[in-house]
Amino acid sequence: MKQPIVLGLLVAVALSAVPGTPHVKKSQVAKMTLKVGDTAPDFTLLSDQWKTVKLSDYRGRKNVFLAVYVLAFTGG
Amino acid sequence: MDSPAANAAFAKQIGITFPLLSDMNRKMLKTYGILKGYDVQNETYEWALRANIVVDKQGIIQFVEEGDSAVDPNTALTMCTTLHKKDAAK
Repeated sequence: MKQPIVLGLLVAVALSAVPGTPHVKKSQVAKMTLKVGDTAPDFTLLSDQWKTVKLSDYRGRKNVFLAVYVLAFTGG
Repeated sequence: MDSPAANAAFAKQIGITFPLLSDMNRKMLKTYGILKGYDVQNETYEWALRANIVVDKQGIIQFVEEGDSAVDPNTALTMCTTLHKKDAAK
């Protein structure tokens, strides 16, 4: 019987932290600044193998597909 | 933004063989203009839009889609195939 009580308390805390309708407004709407024909800005990022990956490393060697995938539920 | 460790576990779990990159300081996302900010009770929270971008061997952007249409990668994959065929024909 302990579990429902804990859940109840959590809901109460959550409700008390948000009195009424939360104040949410869009501060900035992202707009992709790049378009077809532009040079892709270079970047260096860490891979899942902890190696640095640089976009320009692929220049002259491979076409690159960049997939920005949010909410992938990686567990991280 | 997930850490390299989280991405490594995810890659192993679903069998991904291409690099999964972490933009922990959100620098790339800002440069590319795909970071979205929301003000919630005096705090600003930022997260990225979904986006598919195809860059050719010369470093030129050949395809861009963002938001809801970027959930499906098939159009971008078709562009990759087209570029690959063009390269093969040279």
